[in-house]
Amino acid sequence: MVERTRGLDIACHVLLILGGLLVCLPIWFAFVVGSHTTADVLTLPPPWLPGDRFFENAATAWQKGNLGRLFVNSFVVAVGIAGGKIAVSLLSAFAIAYFRFRWRMVAFWLIFVSLMLPVEVRILPTYEAVANVALPLQWLAGLAGLSVALDWNMMNSYGGLILPLIASATATFLFRQFFLTVPEELCEAARIDGAGALRFFRSILLPLSVPNMVALAIILFLYGWNQYLWPLLFTTDKSMATAVIGLKSLIPQSDSEPAWNIAMNAALLVMLPPVAVVMVLQRWLVKGLVDAGK
Amino acid sequence: MMLRRSALAGLMAAAFSAAPALAQQKVEVQFWHALSGVLGERVDEIVKRFNVSQDKYTVVATYKGNYDEVINATIAAYRAKKAPQIVQIYERGFMSMLLSGAIVPVQDLLTEKKKDVDFGDFIKPVASYYQYKGKLMSMPFNSSTPILFYNRAQFEKAGFKEPADTWGELEKQLYTIKQKGAAECGSSLAGDYFWSLMENYSTVNDQPWGTKSNGYDGLDTQFVYNKTRLVGQVTRLQKWVNDGVIQIAGQGLSPEQLFTSGKCATFFASTAAHGGIEKAKDLPWSATYLPHEADLTAHNSSIGGATLWVMKGHRAEEYDGVAAFLAFIASPDLQLWWHKVTGYVPITNKAYQLAKAEGYYKQSPTREIAILQLNRGTPTANSQGFHFGNYTQTTFALREEMESVFANKKTPQQGLDDAVRRGNEILRQFEKLNAGKY
Amino acid sequence: MQGSTSVSALGARHASGASSSAAAEREPGARKGARAAGGTAGLKRAHYREARLPLLLLLPQLLVLLLFFFIPAIRALAQAFVLTDPFGNSVQFVWFDNFRALLTSPEYQSSVWVTIWFTLAQNAITLAIAMVLAFATDRVVRARGLYRSVILLPYAIAPVIAGILWAFLFNPSVGPIAFLLKGMGIAWDPIRSGFDAFLLVTFAASWKHICYDYIFLVAALLAVPPSLVEAAAVDGAGPLLRFFRIGLPMISPTIFFLLAMNFVYGFFETFAIIDAVTKGGPGGATMILVYKVYLDGFVHIDLGSSAAQSVLMMIFALVLTMVQFRYVERNVNYDV
Repeated sequence: MVERTRGLDIACHVLLILGGLLVCLPIWFAFVVGSHTTADVLTLPPPWLPGDRFFENAATAWQKGNLGRLFVNSFVVAVGIAGGKIAVSLLSAFAIAYFRFRWRMVAFWLIFVSLMLPVEVRILPTYEAVANVALPLQWLAGLAGLSVALDWNMMNSYGGLILPLIASATATFLFRQFFLTVPEELCEAARIDGAGALRFFRSILLPLSVPNMVALAIILFLYGWNQYLWPLLFTTDKSMATAVIGLKSLIPQSDSEPAWNIAMNAALLVMLPPVAVVMVLQRWLVKGLVDAGK
Repeated sequence: MMLRRSALAGLMAAAFSAAPALAQQKVEVQFWHALSGVLGERVDEIVKRFNVSQDKYTVVATYKGNYDEVINATIAAYRAKKAPQIVQIYERGFMSMLLSGAIVPVQDLLTEKKKDVDFGDFIKPVASYYQYKGKLMSMPFNSSTPILFYNRAQFEKAGFKEPADTWGELEKQLYTIKQKGAAECGSSLAGDYFWSLMENYSTVNDQPWGTKSNGYDGLDTQFVYNKTRLVGQVTRLQKWVNDGVIQIAGQGLSPEQLFTSGKCATFFASTAAHGGIEKAKDLPWSATYLPHEADLTAHNSSIGGATLWVMKGHRAEEYDGVAAFLAFIASPDLQLWWHKVTGYVPITNKAYQLAKAEGYYKQSPTREIAILQLNRGTPTANSQGFHFGNYTQTTFALREEMESVFANKKTPQQGLDDAVRRGNEILRQFEKLNAGKY
Repeated sequence: MQGSTSVSALGARHASGASSSAAAEREPGARKGARAAGGTAGLKRAHYREARLPLLLLLPQLLVLLLFFFIPAIRALAQAFVLTDPFGNSVQFVWFDNFRALLTSPEYQSSVWVTIWFTLAQNAITLAIAMVLAFATDRVVRARGLYRSVILLPYAIAPVIAGILWAFLFNPSVGPIAFLLKGMGIAWDPIRSGFDAFLLVTFAASWKHICYDYIFLVAALLAVPPSLVEAAAVDGAGPLLRFFRIGLPMISPTIFFLLAMNFVYGFFETFAIIDAVTKGGPGGATMILVYKVYLDGFVHIDLGSSAAQSVLMMIFALVLTMVQFRYVERNVNYDV
C-alpha cells in the first residue's frame, strides 16, 4: 500500500467480517441443526448452539443416503463435465478466433443462443435424446425409406449424465475473448517458423491458457457437483445417482418423521467437497481471472 | 491385476451404456415413488419383504423426487418408451392418468392374472376416489385423511375438556385459548389447508365442489365452491388469520412444528402426521374428528395421498410380477404393518379388523379416528371424491387466490370467484383435449 | 453458472490495455463484417484460412448441441402451437391460442412486471455489495485469502440447500433474523405480504450471486496497474477518491459485463431459490417468468403454455442481449 489509512483499513476489515458472517450464518445454522436429535430440532425457538450428536448424525446420513457411492458418482460427473466443457469450448474458441471460414459467425451464434432456453422446458425431448442417442439417425433412415431399430441408451451411465451438459456457450465465449488478447506476434512468429495451426495451438496457445483453464475448471466443477434436475430424471438406477439427489432423498416431507437433523447434516457433508475446492483453490481462481489478460 | 482389470472394464461399461440387467433369471419390475426420509425406508422394506417372499420377480424401488418430479420422470420415460412398470402418483393426478392412454387399469390386470384381491373390501372413500365405472383404476397405497390434533393441556388450561365438534363452538374455544394465554395461537395452518380445511370441509358438510357430482358424471363439470357454505368457512379462516388465531408457518418451517412445540393449540392435518407428533418431546396431545357445521349432518371426509399406477407397454411376465407385487401390497398383513409404521390409513376393512382384533387401537386410539371418520355416514355425490382434470393446476389457482385473501387483498367471495373463474378455464382445456374419452 | 463465466474475458480484455480484440471490433469495417456469416469481427489479425480444420474443431461442440440442445429445443418449442396431454397421446394443433391466452392473462402480465423489478433490484444489490466487498478486499493486506475464501462460499452451496436455509432464517415464526427484525420494530411477514416476500427472494438470489460478481471484481481490481494508483497517490488523492477516479473507470468493462451476466442469472437461473423460498407466492408476488415456465411446464404439465412462454422469454432475452452487446461495445472504454 502506498500510505497508511488506519480508519479505512479497519472499516474494510469490519465490512469483510460482516460480509463473512452474512455468508456463514446459514451454514452455521445447518451445522447446529445437524448436531441435535430430531426431537430437539422440533422445539421452538430452535437451538442456537451445536449439540453433541454431530458425528452420530453424520454416520447415519452417510449410510442412509448411500453417500459413499454417490460421492464417487458426483465426483466423476463433476470432473467429466468440467473437463468436457473445457475441451470442447477450447477447440471451438480456437476455430472461431483463429480461422477465417464460411459460417464462422453462424457457428458462434449457434453456440451462444444455447443460453436462452431454460432446461426445464426441454426436459421431455432431451430425455428422449438421452434414452436413445441414435434417434436422429433413425429418423434419417426413416426418411430414406429404411426401417432400422437403432438403440443407444445412455441412461444410468456416466456418459448420459455428462454429455448433455458439456456444451458451453460461456466457456467458449471466455476462451474466445482470451485468445483475442493473445499478442498477434505469437501466431505470426509460429507461422514464420512453419508451424501449422494445430502445432501453434498445442505448443503455444494451450500452455498460455492454463491459468484460465484452472479458474474455469473450478467454476465448472461446482456447477457439475450441484446439478440436480438432470441427474434426477436421467438415472433410474440408485447406484448411478449423485450426492445432491441422495441429499434430497433425506429431506423430510410432510407426512413423515421430520428428521431435519439428518438432512442438514447430509447437506453439510454434500457441501464439503465443493467448499474444500473453493477454499483450497481460490488463489488459483483469482490468479486465473487476473492472468487471463497478461 | 485381475481385480483391477475387471474394475476398469466395469467402469468402461458404466461410462457409455446403461448398466445391464442385474439378475437375468428373475423378472425385474421397476417401481418409482416419491417418498423420501423415513417413509422412503419403509418403502424399501416393503420391497425387500416382497423380494424374499418369492423367487420369480425382483421389484426395484427408486425414489424419483417429489410427486411432481415422479410424474414428470414417468412422462418423459413413457415418451422415450422406457417407462417403469409401476409409478406412484398423487390423488390430484387421477384424471390425467386415467385418460392418458398410457396405463393399464389395476383391477383388470389383477383379475386377468387371477390374483385373490377382494375389491369389495376396500374402504369406501378410498375405493370411490380411484374408481371409474365401478372398477379400481390404480392400487391405493398411501392414503390419509385430515383429522384434528390438539394440545390437551392447553384446552384444559382454558377450561375445556376437548375440542367442540362444530365450527362455531370450536371458534369460540380457540379465541378463548388465545385470550387466556393458554397458547400463543389457536391453530397452525397446514401446508395442504386447501385439502384439510376446504375440500374436506365440503365433503364433511356435503357441499358440492363442482357440478356433475364433483366431475364424476362428465368432463363438462364446473367449479361451484364459490356459491356454497365454503364462503363462510373462508371468511372464518381469513378472520382467524387476521386475529392471529391461526398461524401460517410459511416456507422454511413445518406447520407441524408450531403445534409440536406447544405454540399453537390445534393442528388440522393428515393422520399421517402421527409419525412426527408422536416423536415430539413433552407434548400432551390427542386427536379427534374434523368439526362440522352445527346445522348440517357430518358425512365422511375425503382422502388424500397417492396410488400405484401400472404403465402400458411391458411384457406379460413383467405384468405377472406387477400383479404379484400389487396383490402383496393389498394383503391385510402388509396393510396392517404399513398402517402401524406410517400413520396412513389401512386401505381395506380386513386390515382394519386385524388391527382392531390385535388391540392396536386400545394402545393408540387416535390412530383409529381417520378410518372411523372415513366410514362416517353414506358417501354422497359431494363426498365420494374429486374427479377434475388438470386438478393440480386448478388447485394452484385456488391457492394463489387464497393467499390474496389471507393478505386481505381480496374478500373471501372475490378470491373464491376468481379461483372458480381461473379453474373453469383450465377445466375447459382438459375437456377440449379429452372430448369423448370419459 | 452457465452464462456467467464470460465475464472474466472482460477482466482479460481490459487488463491487456488496448487489446487487439477491442481494436479490431472497433474498426468500422469489422463491425460491418460482423453481419455477414464468416465476417471478421472477433477474428485474429493473424489467422489461418483453412476450410476443413475449423469445422472439425467445432464439431464436438456442435454435435453435442445438436443432439442435446437444438433437436430437443425445437421439439419443445413446437409445442407452443398445440394443445397436448402430458403423455403425448392426443395432440391438437391450435395455432396461436396459447400465446393469446398468455397475453390476455392478468397473471402473466403481473409476472412480467415482477420479473422486471426482480431483475433490476437483484442486479443492483448484487453489484453494490460485491463492489464494496471487493474494494475492501483490495485494501486489506492481512487475511485477504481467508476473506476471499469465506465470501466465495455461497458459490459452493447447491441452490436447493441455500433456499431452504434462507427460508428458515427469515421465517416470521422461528427465523432468527425475523426475530431480529421484529425486535427492531419492523413488521416482517413474507408469508402474507407480497412486498416482504419480494424483498426476501431478491436478497436470497443476490446472496447466492454476490460471490460471483465479487471474485471477478477482485480480479479486475488486482489488474489495475499499480503505477497509475501510485501516481494518483502522489497527487494527494485518498483511497476512496482513487477508487472512483481510477479503479472504477478501469474496471468498467467488467462491471458492464457483470450487469449482463447478472441479468442472465436473474432471468434464467433463480428458479431453485424461488422454489425453496416462496414458490412464487404469496398471490403471485414473486412469480418471475422463469418460475412460471417451470411451474406451468413441470408441475402443472401444461406443455403448450409453457412452451409459448419460453418462446416469448427467448425472444425477449435475445433482444436484450443484442442491445447489451451494442451498448457495451459503444460505451465501455477498453483503452483506459
